[in-house]
Amino acid sequence: MAKILGIDLGTTNSAMAIVEGGEPKILENHEGARTTPSVAAVSKAGERLVGLLAKRQAVVNPKNTIFSVKRLIGRNFDDKEIQRDKSWLPYEIQKSATGGMEIKMGERWYKPEEISAMTLAKLKADAEMKTGEKIEEAVITVPAYFDDSQRQATKNAGEIAGLKVRRIINEPTAAALAYGLNRKKNEKIVVYDFGGGTFDISVLEVGDDVVEVKGTGGDTHLGGDDFDKRIIEYLVVEYKKQEGIDISKDPLALQRLKEAAERAKHELSTAMETEINLPYVTSDASGPKHFLMKMTRAKLEELVRDYIDRSIDLTGQALNEVKLKPSEIDEVILVGGQTRMPAISGAVKKFFGKEPHKGINPDEVVAIGAAVQAGIFQGDVKDILLLDVTPLSLGIETLGGVFTALIEKNTTIPTSKSQIFSTAAENQTSVEIHILQGERPMAADNKTLGRFILDGIPPSPRGIPQIEVQFDIDANGILNVSAKDKASGKSQSVRIEASTQLSKDEVDKLKQEAAVHAEDDKKKKELAEARNMGEQTIYLAEKSLKEAGDKISVEIKDAINAKIGELKTVKDGSDIEVIKSKTAELSMEIQKIGQSIHPPHDNADEASK
Amino acid sequence: MTDDLAKCQKERDENLEGWKRAKADLLNYKKDESKRFEIVAKFSQEGLIRELIKTLDSFDLALAALEKEGKAEKGIYLIRAQIEDTLRQNGLERVAVSVGQPFDPNLQEAIVSVESDKPSDTVVEEVERGYLLHGKLIRPARVKVAK
Repeated sequence: MAKILGIDLGTTNSAMAIVEGGEPKILENHEGARTTPSVAAVSKAGERLVGLLAKRQAVVNPKNTIFSVKRLIGRNFDDKEIQRDKSWLPYEIQKSATGGMEIKMGERWYKPEEISAMTLAKLKADAEMKTGEKIEEAVITVPAYFDDSQRQATKNAGEIAGLKVRRIINEPTAAALAYGLNRKKNEKIVVYDFGGGTFDISVLEVGDDVVEVKGTGGDTHLGGDDFDKRIIEYLVVEYKKQEGIDISKDPLALQRLKEAAERAKHELSTAMETEINLPYVTSDASGPKHFLMKMTRAKLEELVRDYIDRSIDLTGQALNEVKLKPSEIDEVILVGGQTRMPAISGAVKKFFGKEPHKGINPDEVVAIGAAVQAGIFQGDVKDILLLDVTPLSLGIETLGGVFTALIEKNTTIPTSKSQIFSTAAENQTSVEIHILQGERPMAADNKTLGRFILDGIPPSPRGIPQIEVQFDIDANGILNVSAKDKASGKSQSVRIEASTQLSKDEVDKLKQEAAVHAEDDKKKKELAEARNMGEQTIYLAEKSLKEAGDKISVEIKDAINAKIGELKTVKDGSDIEVIKSKTAELSMEIQKIGQSIHPPHDNADEASK
Repeated sequence: MTDDLAKCQKERDENLEGWKRAKADLLNYKKDESKRFEIVAKFSQEGLIRELIKTLDSFDLALAALEKEGKAEKGIYLIRAQIEDTLRQNGLERVAVSVGQPFDPNLQEAIVSVESDKPSDTVVEEVERGYLLHGKLIRPARVKVAK
C-alpha cells in the first residue's frame, strides 16, 4: 500500500516523515538534511530554485526569493498583519482580484499557495526518491489559530503539488500525537512551540477520540532567530569596544560570526561556558585582527531574558483566556529548536510546576505527529501483528556465580539464542544449567526459573568440552532451555512456562533494584572475574610446570611456585587490585619457562639460516 | 463442515501470506540496513571534518594576511597542505570556483552582491572555499556576486 507523507509545513523550515514498520521516521531531503528551508526563488537565469538552493542565492536576488509565505497564505490583502509584514518583506505583494494577494517572483505573479506548493512538491519528489515509492497522499500541519480560509489555501497548495491531502491537522495536535497523548482521556495539554520565527502556545483537551483546541496564543514575530540576532549584536558591540572595529560592515566576517553565534548558542545548551574563536576575522591599518571571546550560559540568558519572560507571559494569557490555572494542565509539550535552551525548559517547568515532554527532537516532533496521523489512515489494512518482548534478561549462571545473559531484555519474541560454554574443572563429567531471569550481574541476585544437570560428559581437561546451551522462547512466552555436549551428543532440556508472566510492577521493581545496586554489582562482578582470571592463571602455571618438567632450572620452578602460593592466599579475599597484581606477577613469571626452553636468538638472520 | 474447512483454508492462506511478508520484510530490512551502514560509515566523520574545515578557513585567512605583509613562510603552507591531504584521503574534495563564471547555487552561497565590471550574476571573488565529502556538498563556497 502506498505511503502517506506527514508534512510539517513551517514558516522558516519544513520537515517530513513517514511510518515504516509501524514507527514514524523523519525522511531526509535530497541534500541529506532533515529539514528543508521553506523558500522558493526564480534565479536571474529564469531557473526555479526551492529549499537550500533558493536560500543560498537570497542575498543577490532578494526580490525574487520568497520566504515566510506561510505568513501570507489564505489571508486578505487588507489584513492588519499583512500590511505590517508587507513593510519588511523584500519581495513585491499586490492585491488580487478576489481580495487575496499575489506575490511577484521572476516575471510572474503567484498566489501564496502556489509558492507553498513549490516547497511541498520538492518534499514529495525527495520523499519518492528516498523511499523508491510513488507518494500521492499527505497529511499537512497548520498552526491551531489558522482559520478556514488559511486551511483551505494550505490544502490547495498540497493539491497543486500533486498531493491528495488526506487531512489538515493542527501542529500542537500533531505534537500530542507524536507523544501518544491522544490516548489520555480528559487531559488538558499545553503545547509550547518556540520556532525559528514564531512563538505559538496552544491549549488542547483530549476528549473521546478527538483532540480539541481550547485556546491559542503567542507572537508571530518572536522566534529563535531573534535570539541569534541578540547574540550577534552583543558580540559586534563588544568587539567594537575591544578593538574599535565594526565588523558588521564586513560580509564575510559577519557570516563567520553568525555561524559562531549559532554554534555558541547550541553549545551553551549543554556547557556552562564556550569560547568564540575566529582567527583573522578582519583587518585594519595595523594588520590582521582576531576574534576571541568567552561567553557564559549566564550571559546568554541575560541577553534573551526578556524574550523568555515574554513567552511565559503569553502562556499565562492564553491560559487566562480559557480560564485555566497552570496547575490544571496535565501535560506540557515542548516544540521548536529553541526549547533546547535549558533556561526555556526551566522557565516552562517552573510555570507549570511539572516536567515538560521533550524526548522527541523538538524540530521534528510535528512532522513525526503528522506521520502518526498518516499511519492511522494507512493502518486500515489488517497487517498489525502485535509481537511481545521479554521484559527481563534471561541467562545462566557461569563460573564464579556470574550471571551470563543469553537473551537480553526487550528482545522481541519468538526468538532463540545459543552459546557455547565449557567446564571449569579437570575431568568434570557433569554441568549444572541454572536458568535465571533479571538484570543483576551476579546470579544470586536474580530470580531462578529452573535448573537441570547434563551429565555423561567424557572426562577431559577443563575448558575442552563444548556444551551448547540454547534458549528458545515461543510466541506464547514459553521458554525452552537445552544443553548439548558436542562430543558425546548427550543433551538435556527443560521447559519453563512462566518466563514472561511477571506483572508490570514486578518487572519495574526488578529493574529498579538493578539500577540501585548497579555500582555494588559492578564491583562484585569484577571481583568474580578477577578471581576467575587468577584461578585460570594458577591452573596454567601448574600445567606448564608439569609439562616443562626437568627442562627448567630449580630457581625458575621455585619462583613460580612462590608466586602461585602468593596468589592462592589472596585470591579468595575481596581486594580486586591485589588479586589482579598477583595474577599479573604470576603470568610474568610463567613466561620465563618459555624463555628458558626456547632462548631468544640474537638476530633474525641467525634464525633463518 | 465445508464452511469450517473454507474458513481454515482462508486463514491458512492469510497466515502463509503474512509469514512470507514478514520473511521478506526482514530480508529487505537487512539489505537496507547494510546500505545504511555503508553510508553511516562513510559519513561518520562528517561532524569532525566540518569542524576541521573551519581550521582550514583560518589557515587561508592567515596565509592571505601574511602574504600581504610578505611574511608567508613556506612551512605554514605545508602544514595547511598536511591537514587538507588527510581530509582528502577521507573523502573531502574542494569545490572548484572560477571567477567570471555564472553564480551556481548548487555549489555556492552568495554572501554579498557588489558593483563590478563583470557581467551580472557572475562570481567576482571566492571568499571562503567550499567542500564536498564523498560527493555530498557539506559547505558551499562563499562568493561575492556581480550586481
